[in-house]
Order: sequence, then structure tokens, then C-alpha cells
Amino acid sequence: MNRYDAIVIGGGHNGLVAAAYLARAGKKVVVLERRHLVGGAAVTEEIFPGYKFSEFSYVVSLLRPEIIRDLDLPRHGLKILPLPSTFTPMENGDYLAAWDDHDLTRGEIQRHSPKDAEAYDAYSRLMARMAKAIKPLISMVPPDPSSLSPRDLMGLLKLGRYAAGLKEKELYQLAKLMTQSSGDLLDEWFETEALKGTKAASGIIGTFLGPRSPGTAYVLLHHYMGEIDGAFRAWGFAKGGSGGVSGAIASAARALGVEIRLNAPVQQVIVKSGRAVGVALEDGEELWAHAVLSAADPKRTFMQFIERRHLPDDFVNSIGAFRVRGSSAKVNIALNALPDFTALPGEGPLHRGSISISPSVDYIERAYDDAKYGEVSRRPYIDIIIPSMIDPDMAPASQHVMSCFVQYAPYDVDGGWDDAKRDSLGETVISTIEQYAPNIRKAIVGMQVITPKDIEAIAGISGGNIFHGELLLHQIFFLRPAPQWADFRTPVRGYYFGAAGAHPGGGVMGAPGMLAAKEILKDWGERR
Amino acid sequence: MNAPEYDFIIVGAGHNGLVAAAYLAKAGRKVLVLERRPFVGGSVVTEEFAPGFATDAVWTGGNLRPAIVKDLGLPLPAPTRGRPLISLLDGDRLELGADPKQAAETLRRFSEKDAKRWPEFAGFMERAATFLDEAYATVMPRLPKGTDWRQGLGLAELGIDLRLMGRKDMLNIIRMVPMTALEFLEEWFESEELKAALASVAMHGVTLGPMSAGTGFTLLHNWLNRSGPAHVNAGKAGEITGALAQAVQRFGAEIRTDSEVARLLVGPYACDGVQLASGEELRAGAVISAVDPKRTFLGLVGAVNLPPEFVWQTQSIKMRGSVSKLHLLTDGSHGIPDGTLVLAPSIKYLERAYDASKYGEVSEQPSLEVTTVGPVVSVHIQFTPYALRNSIWNEQRPRVEDLALNSLAAHFPKLKSSIKDRRLLTPVDLESIYSLTEGDLNHGQLMLDQFLFMRPMPGWSNHRTPIDNLYLCGSGVHGGGGVSGAAGRNAAKVILGGARNLHRRN
Repeated sequence: MNRYDAIVIGGGHNGLVAAAYLARAGKKVVVLERRHLVGGAAVTEEIFPGYKFSEFSYVVSLLRPEIIRDLDLPRHGLKILPLPSTFTPMENGDYLAAWDDHDLTRGEIQRHSPKDAEAYDAYSRLMARMAKAIKPLISMVPPDPSSLSPRDLMGLLKLGRYAAGLKEKELYQLAKLMTQSSGDLLDEWFETEALKGTKAASGIIGTFLGPRSPGTAYVLLHHYMGEIDGAFRAWGFAKGGSGGVSGAIASAARALGVEIRLNAPVQQVIVKSGRAVGVALEDGEELWAHAVLSAADPKRTFMQFIERRHLPDDFVNSIGAFRVRGSSAKVNIALNALPDFTALPGEGPLHRGSISISPSVDYIERAYDDAKYGEVSRRPYIDIIIPSMIDPDMAPASQHVMSCFVQYAPYDVDGGWDDAKRDSLGETVISTIEQYAPNIRKAIVGMQVITPKDIEAIAGISGGNIFHGELLLHQIFFLRPAPQWADFRTPVRGYYFGAAGAHPGGGVMGAPGMLAAKEILKDWGERR
Repeated sequence: MNAPEYDFIIVGAGHNGLVAAAYLAKAGRKVLVLERRPFVGGSVVTEEFAPGFATDAVWTGGNLRPAIVKDLGLPLPAPTRGRPLISLLDGDRLELGADPKQAAETLRRFSEKDAKRWPEFAGFMERAATFLDEAYATVMPRLPKGTDWRQGLGLAELGIDLRLMGRKDMLNIIRMVPMTALEFLEEWFESEELKAALASVAMHGVTLGPMSAGTGFTLLHNWLNRSGPAHVNAGKAGEITGALAQAVQRFGAEIRTDSEVARLLVGPYACDGVQLASGEELRAGAVISAVDPKRTFLGLVGAVNLPPEFVWQTQSIKMRGSVSKLHLLTDGSHGIPDGTLVLAPSIKYLERAYDASKYGEVSEQPSLEVTTVGPVVSVHIQFTPYALRNSIWNEQRPRVEDLALNSLAAHFPKLKSSIKDRRLLTPVDLESIYSLTEGDLNHGQLMLDQFLFMRPMPGWSNHRTPIDNLYLCGSGVHGGGGVSGAAGRNAAKVILGGARNLHRRN
């Protein structure tokens, strides 16, 4: 009964993807989920009666197209609705918008700066080219440059061939993007503060760095890697919210024979003679398998599920040093009216896109300054979408749900998080939005404030970091989650790691789960 | 047209210009070095501001690469370990002596654990710095395609060296470079005082804070330049460039001081000489600029003579100087001990000092570094950004002096009354007197996107330029930053040609 080929810990999107790929290869797989629903941080919950929210993760774009194809997700209900515009209200009462139409967008930028309108196309082309250039790396198992094993040497060779395939200029542009700050990158291209601020914001999401810190241009690029129907840098909203994505993957997995057990929190991975052979649940039940794959974050995977004695010291030190500083909060608001922006009054296309409170790079940098000394940003960066405008099923008729992604709210806030701090975070967000849309306060029907502490408690992500670990240069590729262990294997044989804390990282991408499943199958293929 | 008078003209008699000149002259080439000021040294100079008031004006002491001292037969003492690094704390001091065992002993008071780890840390830093030194001594080729494969040998050799350091060191060095100094130091130590003292080393001369990514690299870079955490040879910067100038002349090259170059003579994409401010024109087979890349291309060459994209890349080089130097002549009763003293009581203190510079403001509570040579006290002040947003430098001068002196007065009550004369050099002065664009001591910020093959800009790290017969040999190119002379030496190697020269380190 309790014997499986593989046990997957965690029913987030990566765990589900991994399970589906294993089942697709004919393996008997069980997914163990702590909560009463699948999805992890990609869930939709009805927080207030009739009002549904993508509680944590709220947009999709990075989900790998091959996963959508391989698992036939559209047949299982995955439908991605476009999020066509970005609207940035400015402090001087004006606004900047990127609309669904290229000419309109250009005209809009032209209004602020003809020079920027000129540069905009070239910049977009560069980013698209870079996203394409980096694509092969996403679907690659990172080779360990310090290893002399045939597998790693082959990987390095492949990497060398990949680099040789790039044009000299592309290689330099990529190297620069990997090391620059997003602020510096944008200063090279543009002069309109609101444009730079809005673009720079992509470089700080999920990261505890400001837009002036080197390395943030890479995070920005990470957000450009999304594809929807082959179009790069297209963000969308899943029908039914982010739970719709997890639901579709879960449905595909079940159809392939995966057993999904809810309310099944894992106590520990059972290790016998240095090999993972099963897991013990918190209620004492034991399940057995040839392989155990953890789709939890690295800290839980290696410091909670596995006894310390099974891991080498260097590895434990590396995982201990892995940065998972949560810096983002989420405020989900039920509304009885749309926010009315003074810069562009009335209901309009802006409400169907993303609304970005990012008037300048300095604004975001100052928000970071507060956070690095342990405070919630007095004036935070906020990314707002109104899902009910895209998918009317998310709220009762003529009512709305509004999702606010907020940065920075440090996990280690001075004095620790409590109800008063949570309330004050909610108030900060409302008063910030109120500056641009004064009707917002009166329109509020209900409000849920999710601090990094809450992300940790509800979604089970250590540190509340939405990427399971920041996308810092020393935490990506062959260093993610730890040097020498970026190939989805772990120091415990039979124990695998395939979630956002592994290569290529966070976002509703699914790549770590898929790559880890493939490595398990490779190991089995070699032995059998 | 007559044959040019010189094989090479070198613009700027700073340490890198002189190193390049000496190597070329030693190889039998006819070389002329042109210096704008009345004396050689550039920013590696011991300058006499008034009788009896002489000090290292910009760079404090330093060590040339030992290979350069040997190759050129310079009468310089063997590299010395520095004096201690002393962190000034509230009513206390943390002292890191040059001897790791002694340093560990004094650290005990702050943390038993950190004291135990110190020798291991010092050992790792020395090995990592040695590797960085090798990287700096290797010419960075243009990366791919169509170039001579032998150019890649240096890089390959470097990769092998890194691997031979062992897996653990190799991965630790790779990880350290993009980290923040704080992250890196947190992996080693728990004492806030120790972490802050070391973080101040990482920030020396760069406009970044201890929480900025890439300050792991600057910590290593500055550690290499000082052979440890504290300055070496304070007060002797002038001896270094003096010895180099003598070597240049000994090898038969000519140095002309008081000879400001107004522009380079650039034909259709080739350079064949210079025009002095006096109007005099001098011809050479090639011109080598030891001036920073921004000034070289936008000032001496002129944007009209360069491809537009290259001009854009040059404009994008980040200079961003934020250092002021306050030199004080005292009656000797200043009460400041020997060594490198830093005012860096906590990481937050340093980070806040940096914050101001992001918004074009002078830090209310600056991070300071103090060195003394007899009665002369030199204070290195950060952050005082070149580009002030809401004021101008003439207004800020007295304020910067006051902020620095008041911060020090708390620790050295006798200092103020002992002052007989003073000289403040703001970033604007560093630019106008020492030709450091935007007052950047390193001819370009030491940031990851201006590192290795991206210094001064991607594709041009091999000392060549889009203009034939024009080369760069200053600190703005790979190998540069600090007083090592590696950039000057690498430039001479490239110019003297032969792929053999490129991968051979010594």
C-alpha cells in the first residue's frame, strides 16, 4: 500500500510538475501536501465570501512552454488571460502608460521624452534578445566547474559551446546584464523617471536589494524570460487565479496516475544506510519509496526534513548561508468600486492591466533604504492588479478584488511582526495608493494583509522569500542552492531537490520540478 | 613626411604610465613621457603643500607588483606588511595587527569564536588575493571569435590556477566576488565591530556600501593592494613613482613635465602623435594613454573621431568619485597612533554614510580613514559625492572639513588644537588637480560590470582602442585600480607584441 517509486514532498507547482513528469514515465508517485489544498504559493482562496484571491503569487508568465505542452495543461483547464498594459501614476499628477498597442505606447513615452521613445524599441529588442540568449541555460542542469566528473565536464563543454554560439556583442551584453544594477542599466537607456522606476521594479522583486545595487539587472532579466504563446515578456493572469495553474497541473498529474494526499504534513525523511527510503508523516504514518523529492524550500528540505548527521559540514554551512530574506508582502483587498486615479479618471483600460506605484528609481531605492535598517518602507513599491476586471468570476457582480504586491516589508522587521505592525503595513499601502486614487479607502469591503512571516506560516516558505531564496549572483546557476549540489541531487542518495530554491529559480516556472524529475529518471535509467 | 621622433609617446607620468614607459624603453624603444604637472607621480605622489607639509596626496603608500620591482631593478624595499588597522569605537579600539596570531589575540576581547577563525580567514584572503593578483597580471583578451587562439591561453592558464587551488577555495572565491561585503563577512564572523572594520576596507575608494552586491570583490581588491587590511608604506607614494621615473630615464626614455597634452592627433582611425597645450605637435609611432578612459576618449580623442556606439559605451563608464582627502599639518601633538585608523563603528553606520551619496548628498556621519606620517595627519573621507544635487562644492567645503574634524575630535581631543595648516581635496579638486575624472581614484568604479574583460568596457580590456596606434595603460583598464602597476605592465606586453608575452605572467 505505502510503497511508491517516488514520494514528492510539497504540492506546490514544482512538486506537482515533478510528480507529473515521473508518472508520465510510468512511475508510481505520491505527492504529500501539508495544507488542505494544492498549489503552495500558487493558490486561489476565497478570503471573503464571494471574493477570490490569488493569495500569494498572482501573475503568470514564466511557466515553461514545454511543460504546458508535455502535460497538456490547456486540456486540464489552464487558460491564461493577457494583462495588456502597465500604468504608472506619477507624483506630479501625470501618468506614464504602456498600452496594448505599440504605437500608442510609443506615443505615450514620446509625450514624456522623445529620446526615450527612440530608445524604447532598441531596449525592448535587447531584452528580448537577452532573454532568448539565456533560454538554453534555464533548461540545463548546471555543471559544477570544480568537478572533474564526466557529467560535469560534458556540461561545461556544452556551456562552452553555448557561449561560442553567441555573438561577441551578445556575450558582452549578457555579462553586463548579469552584473549591473537595474538602475544603472536603465540610466544608460532612458531619462524619464517613471519609466526607469517601473522597469527597475522588476529587478527588485523577491530580492532584498535596491535598484542601485549591482546584480539587480539580472533579476530584471529573469522577469523577461516569460513567454506566453511564444511572445517574450508577456505577463498574464490565469483564469481562476494562480490556483487555476496549480489546479491544471494537479489535474494533469492525477490523470497520469499521481496520488495527491492533502493534509499530510511530512515530519521527516527516513534515511537508511545513507539512502533516503521514505518519509514519516507528522501523524506517524510511514511511506516508502526508491526516491524522495523535496519541493519545499532549501532550509526545510535540508535542515528540517533530514537529520543533521546525514549531511556533510560544508553542505550544512552552505545551506545555512543561503539567503532567504523575505522582502515582499501582499495586500489583498475586496472593493465595491474601482480605484479612480486622478491622473486618468474613470474606468478604463488601465484597470485591466498592471498598475505600478514606482514613480522613480530613487523612490524604490528609498523604499529599500527603510527596509535594510529593519523598517517597512514608508512609501513602498506596489504592483497592483485587479483580477475581477480580467476574470469576472473572481468577485461578485459589480464588485472587485485587488491584489497589491508590496515591497519592501522585511521578514526581520525591527521588533518582529505582530498585529499592530501588520495593520500599519496595510495602512501604509492604502495611504500610498490613496495619493493617486483618493476614493480607494471608501471602496474597501475587506482587506487581507500578508507579511513575509505570514507567507512563511501559510505557504511554508522559510523566510517568506517568494523565490525560496534570492536570485543573487552567488545563489544562481551552479551555486543554487549550494556549491557542488546544483544538479538536483543531494548529499543523501535517493533524496532529490526540485523547487524554486534550485536552478533556475523562482516564479511560477515549473522548470526546477521538471529538471529534477528528469534527473531522477536519468539516475534510474543508469542503474536499471 | 619625416619619420616620427618617437616610437611611443605616453600621456601621463603616473605609476602606470611610468611602468609602461620603463618596460618599453628597456626593450630598446624610443619613448617620451608627457606630464601635465611640474612633477611626476600622478595620483601616486608625495606632495609638499607648504614647507614641512608633505604627504601622500591621493593614494596612501602602496606596493608595486614584486615582478615589476624585479624586472625594472627598482631600488624599492621588499613588500612590507602594513601597520595595524585600528577601528575607533565608542570608548574602545579594535586593533588588527599584521601578524595573524597577534590579531587573533586582540580579537578575543570581541569574540572568542572570531579570534579562532581569524588565522583561517587571513589565510583564505591571502590565497584569494594571490589569485586576483594573477588575474590582474593576465592580459584580458577580447573574448571570442576570429582572434588568435593563443590570446586565450592566459585565460586558460588562469582557470587552471583557480582549479589547482582546490575545490573549496575555488568555489569560495567565485562566490565571494558578487557577494556583499556584509554577507561575506557574516559567513566568517559574529562581532559587529570586526565586520564593520573589514567592511570599511571593502569600501575604500568605491562608491558602494557594505550592503551593495560586489563589495566582496572590492574587499579582495583592496586587500590585495594593501597586502592585508591596513595601508602599507604610508608617506612613501612618491618614492614609488620617483624610483620608476629614474628607471625610465636610466633605460633611455625622456620625461617632460609641465607638458600638458591638449589633444591626440587622430587621422582616419589612427593616432600618430599629440598636440601640447602650448601648440607644439609631437609625432610618434603610437600613443599610449595613462589617463582615464573617459578623459582619453571624450577629452583627448574627441567623440567625433569615434564610432557612436563606442562613445555611448564610454559615456556609460561609471566614475562616481566620492572621496575627499583632508591633509592636516599639526604641531605633532595630535595624539593619533601609527597605523590605519578607521571610523567604522558598525555596518549600519557605513551603509548610512553611503546612502547619502546615492542622492547626491554629503554624509552627515562620514566613514573616515586616518593615516599619519610624523606631524602630518591625512584623513580619507567617504562619502562626499562629486555630483552634488542640491548644493555646489564651494558651499560644502567647510562643512566636509567640520564633519571630519568633529567626528575625530571625539576620539582625539588634542587634534583640533594641534592643527597648523590644512589642505582639503574634494572630488572636484581631485579632478582638476590630478585629472581624475569625477574624482574617481580608480579611473572607473570597481564594480562587477567594470571588472575583468569588461574594464574599461566590454571588448576593450586588451589595452587596444578603436583607433589604431592608440593604447590604454592606466588604472581604468583591467589590472588597474590601486598602485600595483599591473595595467602599465600588461599594456607594455601587449604593445611589444608576440602572443608569447600574453600568457606568460612573469
